Amino acid sequence: MTVTETRPTAAGGSPPPNPAQRLTALPAKIAKSPLLARVLFPVFLFLVWELSLIAVEEIWPFAVDVLPTPSEVGAFMWDEFITDTLARKNLYETFFISLRRLMSGFAIAMVLGTAMGLAMGLSRATNAFCHDWTMAILAMPALAWALFNSIIFGFDDRGPILTVILAGIPFVIVNVREGVRNTPRELFDMARSFQVPQSKVIRHVLVPSLMPFMFAAARYCFSIGWKGLVIAEVFGGQDGAGWTIKFWYDAHRAHGVVGYAAFFVIFAILFERLVFEPISRRAFRWRPQLQTEVVEEAFGEHHEHYGEEETARR
Amino acid sequence: MAEIRIKNLHKEFGVGSDKVVALEDVNLDITGHSFVSIVGPSGCGKSTLLNILTGIETPTNGTVEITSDGHVAAPGYVFQAARLLPWRTVTDNLMFVQEDRSDDTKKRCQRYLEMVQLGDKGDKFPGELSGGMQQRVGIARAFSIEPDVLFMDEPFSHLDAITARALRRELHHMWDETKKMVVFVTHDVGEAVELSNRILVFAKGGRLEDDIQIDLPFPRDPADDEVAVAKAHVLRKFEELDLLAS
Ligand SMILES: Nc1ncnc2c1ncn2[C@@H]1O[C@H](COP(=O)(O)OP(=O)(O)OP(=O)(O)O)[C@@H](O)[C@H]1O
Ligand SMILES: [Mg+2]
Repeated sequence: MTVTETRPTAAGGSPPPNPAQRLTALPAKIAKSPLLARVLFPVFLFLVWELSLIAVEEIWPFAVDVLPTPSEVGAFMWDEFITDTLARKNLYETFFISLRRLMSGFAIAMVLGTAMGLAMGLSRATNAFCHDWTMAILAMPALAWALFNSIIFGFDDRGPILTVILAGIPFVIVNVREGVRNTPRELFDMARSFQVPQSKVIRHVLVPSLMPFMFAAARYCFSIGWKGLVIAEVFGGQDGAGWTIKFWYDAHRAHGVVGYAAFFVIFAILFERLVFEPISRRAFRWRPQLQTEVVEEAFGEHHEHYGEEETARR
Repeated sequence: MAEIRIKNLHKEFGVGSDKVVALEDVNLDITGHSFVSIVGPSGCGKSTLLNILTGIETPTNGTVEITSDGHVAAPGYVFQAARLLPWRTVTDNLMFVQEDRSDDTKKRCQRYLEMVQLGDKGDKFPGELSGGMQQRVGIARAFSIEPDVLFMDEPFSHLDAITARALRRELHHMWDETKKMVVFVTHDVGEAVELSNRILVFAKGGRLEDDIQIDLPFPRDPADDEVAVAKAHVLRKFEELDLLAS
């Protein structure tokens, strides 16, 4: 691309590029767009899936009876989608049950974790007292909580909810504490010099400065809590998403397991798109450089991150 | 009328080997309708002095008193960096420091935004403005509370020459009309001579080295002989201090 090409569009009042030019520019534009790469990914995935099934069949013909094909998984997911299922509860009931548990645990973890994080960020003594066990909870795999809670509570809601809380709360604590430690001193000083009353400072300086940290906390808590919940339901549930995937596993339906796993992913993505992204767009309008791409990555990947940083700092 | 009284002011940061003396035994009175410029090399404690006068920092020793007709004076502060709330619009940044949200107040804020030529930027967030525009919002914010004393820390140093000159003129008008006190930090001796009736020269280590009275009529033209002489005098003072320091 040359400077002379870009300048007219920036200036606005230039003659439009001729159609032929536009036509040749189009493929280049598509090749560069992230959308195409995204659409290509599932296509690529199905291709690899089918090809590997063919390859396996060559080497070991019997395995094909066990390995699910894309069409089997697709048919299974469609049946679930229209609530034609062999499981005790249909897809929507199942996810509603899990969502209710997730939300209860999430709400409790956010409230408790925020209180703890504030206390630990504001007081060195509180931080010293709580730091090690926060790290211990952080280091504990959700599986251990799930097993432990199912032994204690048996097959009711409390086990899965407590697992969500324990899996999510350390991330809330750590993020909120970082937020408190990173409050913008120079803005508090500014407010003091203009003699702005305390309540106004809290509302317009403290709370907004904590928002990005609260938001990161909510995201981590939600995604980690969701994973913990599924595991807890496998061991200590008689319904819910985790229990249902176990049901298909026990029934030796590989396409059921794969299909249900796909529902987990879809659920998480839907939640991200329909809840977190709109809220974040509204709350962080003031941050013009915020890219939604970064936000999307938050799901799943980053959670080890804070744990590592924490251990490194100690 | 505002009054500033500074007695034996001493300020240090850090302890032990990290100790930095920012201000050393400063004694100073500023009264009435003054425009005081503070000049001096980087790190000589100019910002620290303003921070103490506006209540952001506390003195290590000594006292400062700012009063206006017997009560505690309301200061306005233009910071060296703009210090805006990034999550609030330009208008809301001005409203943040106001005592009320009445229509009069809103109109006043809009008027000062227009003064700094940002009348149409009220709905923008600071991150959407250039550095110079942000600095001008900071200036409008300090003006908009119509303070008893206006403190300004190198307010025009990030602006282009033409905008800076226009704002200098506005500042002079405001000072002339409202009879308020202005305490103005700058690196630019020409700017100090053009605007002030008193120039305080600080040296490294936070000592007040000189207190120069400039009784020339306004408006001052830099090409004018008397103005040029005054500027040369302050500059010479500067060079002497630099020689002392090295
Ligand atoms: N919060 C602080 N903590 C420690 N040292 C400080 C602090 N604020 C200022 N200082 C030190 O005090 C001295 C004076 O700083 P100050 O910011 O007042 O200088 P200045 O005259 O405004 O310089 P400049 O012209 O570069 O803005 C410097 O040596 C600085 O390092
Ligand atoms: Mg300074």
